[in-house]
Amino acid sequence: MEHRTIVLVGLNHRTAPVEVRERVAFANGRLEPALRDLVALPGVLEGAIVSTCNRVEVIACGVDVGTVGGALPAFLAREHGLGEPALAGHLYTHADRAAVRHLFRVAASLDSMVVGEPQILGQLKEQYALAASVGASGRVLHRCFHKSFSVAKRVRNETGIAEKAVSVGSAAVEMARGIFDRLEDKTAMLVGAGAMGELTARQLLAQGVGSVLVVNRTYERAMDVARELGGMPVPFERLARYLPLADLVIGTASGDEFLVTPALVDEAMRERRRRPMLFVDLAVPRGFDPGVNAIDDVYLFDIDDLEGVVADNKGARAREAVKAETIVDAEVDAFWRWFTSLDVVPTIVALRDKVEGIRRREVERGLTALGAADPRLPEVLERVTSAIVNKILHGPLTALRRHEAHAGEAFYVEAARRLFGLGADPDDEEE
Amino acid sequence: MELGLLRLATLLYLAATLVALVGIAVRQELPRRLLPRLLLGGLGVHAAAIIVRSVAGGHIAVTTFAEALSFLAAVLVAIFLAVQARRPLVALGAVVSPLAFGLGLAAYAAYSGARPLPPVLDSAWLPVHVVLATLGDAVFALAFSASLLYLVQERRLKAHRGRGLLRHLPSLETLDRVNYTCLVWGLILLTLGIVSGIIWAHEVWGRSWSTDPKLVFSLLTWAVYVVLLQGRMTAGWRGRWAATLTIAGFAVIVLSLVSVNMLALGNHGKAF
Repeated sequence: MEHRTIVLVGLNHRTAPVEVRERVAFANGRLEPALRDLVALPGVLEGAIVSTCNRVEVIACGVDVGTVGGALPAFLAREHGLGEPALAGHLYTHADRAAVRHLFRVAASLDSMVVGEPQILGQLKEQYALAASVGASGRVLHRCFHKSFSVAKRVRNETGIAEKAVSVGSAAVEMARGIFDRLEDKTAMLVGAGAMGELTARQLLAQGVGSVLVVNRTYERAMDVARELGGMPVPFERLARYLPLADLVIGTASGDEFLVTPALVDEAMRERRRRPMLFVDLAVPRGFDPGVNAIDDVYLFDIDDLEGVVADNKGARAREAVKAETIVDAEVDAFWRWFTSLDVVPTIVALRDKVEGIRRREVERGLTALGAADPRLPEVLERVTSAIVNKILHGPLTALRRHEAHAGEAFYVEAARRLFGLGADPDDEEE
Repeated sequence: MELGLLRLATLLYLAATLVALVGIAVRQELPRRLLPRLLLGGLGVHAAAIIVRSVAGGHIAVTTFAEALSFLAAVLVAIFLAVQARRPLVALGAVVSPLAFGLGLAAYAAYSGARPLPPVLDSAWLPVHVVLATLGDAVFALAFSASLLYLVQERRLKAHRGRGLLRHLPSLETLDRVNYTCLVWGLILLTLGIVSGIIWAHEVWGRSWSTDPKLVFSLLTWAVYVVLLQGRMTAGWRGRWAATLTIAGFAVIVLSLVSVNMLALGNHGKAF
């Protein structure tokens, strides 16, 4: 018999390098058609997609783990015009409880590159709302996502994870504050217009950085990003010319050779009369020569350094993480009780058991009241009451069985549980 | 009574040191508010000690080694308070406070009773020359403090240590600016101090002052800082190199203070 299931397939910053992540990420406007494709897959009843610069995840509720789990990787590859082998080795698949647990951990920012960073929750909410608006998500994912939001809230309120947390961008800002007094009169240069760099540039601008230069191999993309950020695009060949203007250089691009070399920085430092420069290399592999850090008044941080900056104080963080995981586990249990209660078979069994129990108790009570009158009485009572019960139950049980076939209709199951007081829904929906 | 006041002031500087160190380690309002109050309290008590002694002696109490150290500590704290009134710099206080504490302690250790003013010092030039010279030294002590913090912060950034005990240091830019401002003011004061000393000596001794060791040290200090200022203004020296030179210049000041006065060299040594 087929069971209703939740499957999550995806890749993140740990399993896939940025080149792969970038190719699999869903650009603005591409999510809606992808969501429609997703729910059209065989066996998929509900679906949602999470796509950020650090992860792309497809979560689906369907009728069979094998069918759904098998369809999702192919779906991801197809959506981006890639062959399935291109993603092999980068994808992970979580089913049922593990899938729910993963989603909860993502929402609570326990799976983030910088644990506790607050941006992921907003992105999740936005993308779930999109899935809901195109009708891709249904009752199960609705509850699953909303639970994940409340898990995130609990983790934020009840643990110290968020306090310590700073996203990579905030870490870059923190380093900038160690060097520069005012950011208002500073210029930032974005080398490579990747999503990470754009995000970091936004944070720098929010912190008051005066102006932004955007350098990119494709000039059109540089212009797009520059327009979005209110900055100035710079052709890739002019990088060296404009470098002396930059106080902060954020890199997300890398190539066969380093894009920024010590010789280049030396020259720039001379031209800017040794005013300090901060280089932040977010690219993997690195785009700036590590030797740049050896130059006086030049400070270079790569992504690992920034993670080191925010991942300090490990003991305290580990304790808070344990607390957070406990919260996640408890919430997964609660969700899973609700989810399994949606299954038809346990409901049918529970309904039968309950009614049968009532019948037996009442028959016994009747027999005790009557005393030993007619020896045939117990047998007759047994037969009559059984017939009544079976006839009454026939309708509801048929309805439930019929809906077992298309399990999307959770409504009947839950209605039956409520009408007959089967008490399986310990924490009712709050949203 | 003045000795008791000096002791109390020194203890308040010690308390300020501890508070400033806490202020670097944690970002809290309390140390930021407490530090200037402790220092102001210390300065008030300290000033009272100096005034009591000056009144008792009938002249400004800057003529013995202990008095000079004590006066320098008070001026340093006063300048720091003036600087930090414009913008709080707890971390700078973490270097200035122990300096004031150390100077206070040394003054306390070298304490000697009042003695009559030597005739050679009985001049209207005494307060002018001593106040200018002490102000100059104190401003350079502040420049030294900022430079020390600069080198620490610089090392942390180069080594990619974002956190740890010293996490709330001012930015390199701020420290470099404090260095520059102090450099300009210190040089003006030092120049005036040297000039006033030369005029005074000329009045007293005619020509025989030109080989006074204190003058030699002062001219050396002056040369270091003039070179540094020149480099900053024309060659764009800044940052680590400027901080290192500032510390070197201050080392000459300390050397001069210790050697001239402790070994009683020249006119300055004998006068004290």
